[in-house]
Amino acid sequence: MTSRFHALAWLIWALAAAISLQLAPNPLYVAVVIGIATLVVQVHGSDGPFARAFPVLLTLGVVFMVIRVALTAATTHTGIGTELFTTPSFTLPQLLGGFTVGGPVEAEVLFQAAAEGFVVVGVMAVFGAFNAVVSHYELVQSTPRAFYELGLVVTVALAFVPSTIQAVVAVREADRARTGGRVVRRGRLIRQAIPVLESGMERAVNLAESMDARGFAYGGASPLDRVAGWAGFASLLALGGAFVALVGRASTVALALGAAGVGLLLVAVWAASAARHRSRYRPRHFTTADGAMAGIAMLAPIGIAALSAWGESTLTWAASPLHWPAFAALPVIALTALLAPMIRVPPVNAAEPPDTAGRRELVSDRGSAAK
Amino acid sequence: MNQPARGLTYSRVSFRYPDSPGIALRDVDLEVEGGEILLVAGGSGSGKSTLLRAANGLVPHTSGGQFSGNVLAFGRSTRTHRPRELADVVGFVHQDPEAQFVVDHVERDLAFVLENLGHEPQAMRRRVEEVLDALGIAQLRERAPTSLSSGERQRCAIAGALAAAPAALVLDEPTSQLDPQGADDVLAAIGRLNADLGTTVLLAEHRLERAAPLADRAVIFEAGSIVASPGPPAAVLAGYAGAPPVTHLARLLGWEPLPLTVRDARRLAVEAGRANRSDRSDRSDGSNGLDGCKPPPPDAPGEAQGEAPGELLLDATGVHVELGGRTVLADVSVSARQGEVIALLGRNGAGKTTLLRVLGRLLTARAGSIEGPGTVAYVPQDPNTLLFAATVRAELEQTLHLLGRRDHGDVDHWLAALDLTHLAGRHPRSLAGGERQRVAVAAVAVGGADVLLLDEPTRGMDAPSRAGLERALRAHAEAGGAVVLATHDVELAARSAGRVVVLGDGDVVASGPARTVLAGSLFAPQVLRVLPPFLTVDEVARAQGVPAAPAGRVEP
Repeated sequence: MTSRFHALAWLIWALAAAISLQLAPNPLYVAVVIGIATLVVQVHGSDGPFARAFPVLLTLGVVFMVIRVALTAATTHTGIGTELFTTPSFTLPQLLGGFTVGGPVEAEVLFQAAAEGFVVVGVMAVFGAFNAVVSHYELVQSTPRAFYELGLVVTVALAFVPSTIQAVVAVREADRARTGGRVVRRGRLIRQAIPVLESGMERAVNLAESMDARGFAYGGASPLDRVAGWAGFASLLALGGAFVALVGRASTVALALGAAGVGLLLVAVWAASAARHRSRYRPRHFTTADGAMAGIAMLAPIGIAALSAWGESTLTWAASPLHWPAFAALPVIALTALLAPMIRVPPVNAAEPPDTAGRRELVSDRGSAAK
Repeated sequence: MNQPARGLTYSRVSFRYPDSPGIALRDVDLEVEGGEILLVAGGSGSGKSTLLRAANGLVPHTSGGQFSGNVLAFGRSTRTHRPRELADVVGFVHQDPEAQFVVDHVERDLAFVLENLGHEPQAMRRRVEEVLDALGIAQLRERAPTSLSSGERQRCAIAGALAAAPAALVLDEPTSQLDPQGADDVLAAIGRLNADLGTTVLLAEHRLERAAPLADRAVIFEAGSIVASPGPPAAVLAGYAGAPPVTHLARLLGWEPLPLTVRDARRLAVEAGRANRSDRSDRSDGSNGLDGCKPPPPDAPGEAQGEAPGELLLDATGVHVELGGRTVLADVSVSARQGEVIALLGRNGAGKTTLLRVLGRLLTARAGSIEGPGTVAYVPQDPNTLLFAATVRAELEQTLHLLGRRDHGDVDHWLAALDLTHLAGRHPRSLAGGERQRVAVAAVAVGGADVLLLDEPTRGMDAPSRAGLERALRAHAEAGGAVVLATHDVELAARSAGRVVVLGDGDVVASGPARTVLAGSLFAPQVLRVLPPFLTVDEVARAQGVPAAPAGRVEP
């Protein structure tokens, strides 16, 4: 489904939200941003393979947070915090760092780690929301033409992820079905990995054939393509050389090589873009509405930054000494600028096309459905 | 380029896949004329797919292998042109509708080929609009292909192949993965394109009931060669195992000309009946066109009349299932007795698969009970989820191994029953779709379960495979087991099932002996529609006193 906003507008929205999170890591404000992201997904979510990106990435963020809290609680002991309980402890040998694992768990440490982890959850929520609402193909089309092939390959590969997950579920069930519901653990990994991998390979080959039959890379490499290829290769060499020179503290050489590398990279991008024979179907223009949405969204980090410069104290929160995170109206008002995508809400029928049978049936009948 | 020649020309084309001992195509000469629909019939692995893939150079450019001869696609040789350079003259559609989308947006996916070929934006715009209308998918333009039903998806894939206005459309079993409704939609769209735009169509199909009436000419392949040269479909398919049931029926009864559709067959039946009546005006049952045969058909062996004879193996009562907050099965009761073959019919999403999974103890019902002494095993719809061993034989032995058995059990029996003995040493993944499906059935059945649950087992199968599977299932039932099939294929239900259960929106809407349930149905099998109350060609043959020739075994 085409998104109501240009991919670049969504990119700016996501960046605005991510910067706001970094500037205002107070858990209460993070919660506000996550809430806004959820709302945006509810309204603008697509029905494509990335529709489930938001819950998946959000879950991933929560998992990160839990791991982070557990590790921090086990390894950080200030000795001055409020002790909650004590776990058995042991000290790692000197070779492995020599720090102590386990011991007294302090409330301050726990809360601080949770707050930091919560910011990661927020960033994942924003990233997930971005993936759920943006049209990835449009994003590819918005990049310089030189990156089209690469971008297309990446989006196609990403689109394989949900179908691979489906395949894993189906294969696991087939494995149980074969024995009438009895689960045999030994050798299960091989039994399940091979069908998934082979089916994935077959699909990839079919897709490659389909792309070939539909004229992908039609026209072959032109002289300009070759120029682009060599310029890109030389640019990589120059940048690599610049890095080596930097490590060797030969800063003049590093500067020269770096400049050459960047120059060659620009040449490569220009040549590749000029050489493309592709034309673009209905290129999505960056409209005033897109600009307005992106502009309003950017007000959030700008507002937070201004408040921070003003001396607003509630933006960050430290667990020690123990206290509730404080809350002020102004930062929340600034964050509401992230609701900018709500200005243009798709009409109800567009969000829910009349023929939704196919979508419903996906649940029950392996994606094949009739009305 | 000169004035392009019309049509596709194969001259002395031979091909062998890399690392394959067999020859895929052997000295094929074929002319596909501009503007016609040529139907390519033939069993799994007969070379149909290879022939089609050679039309735009996928064979040999993508596949590798040894290629000789020449294919001219509208004046361009595939020897010198790669598939991408033929994209503007040949559109290619794969059998798997899922494997053809590059962009997660229907409308933009259609434009993919146009962008690749560098069309002008204005021309692209117009072309995409026209193609959307030609396939009747304008209302799907904003959707993601993954959210569509498989029939809709296949129509979108055809539109994607058609966007560059190719003179020919090559379709490799485009309906084999679809339900009947989706298949009808797709074939109707193909017929319309041919009639309205004059698009040349090269079509390979197993499901000839629908495809044969559409074709101008047909050709039959076997082992890489043409065994019946192109000609009118009815004549070419007359002796072919995969021909529509009405064609077999007409051949049996000596009706001329051979019909391909129920409509034609019915007319012939009426004519034959009239002829009979004028011979013997005192006979009133002559209207069914059967000349001198015992009027009411005997019950098919194993057909249930009232209570089935055998012991109760599996009894599900009051099964209630909810998935994702939606009621999929509401208070469904089904039982299977020894000797029974039961067909579950119903549209997609009616709950057939779910019921099988519940019976197979893969899914726990929210309410209801599943009891009975019979052991169960479930064959999933997609055989690819199951196959992992290096050879077909190893695949079967793995099941016994998983069950903790050390013997070779019924491996040889099932290999023979499903006609896999000659494939026992092959890698399952190197087999054609219908063959893989049979391997999956064998791999599950070899475990010795009393009740076999099969989900859409004939999808993508050719006629001999189907006949072999039907025989094996009947044999399993007669040996004291039971079979439950979920299927869209009413012909399969008519031929093999004694009892039919129709599901609709999670309920049992009809249940009983196959003849009774199917007779009242809009979707009755072809023979029942032409000569009620006969269900199958075999029954008619028995009534005629002709030794029964199982469908799928009719020799030319």
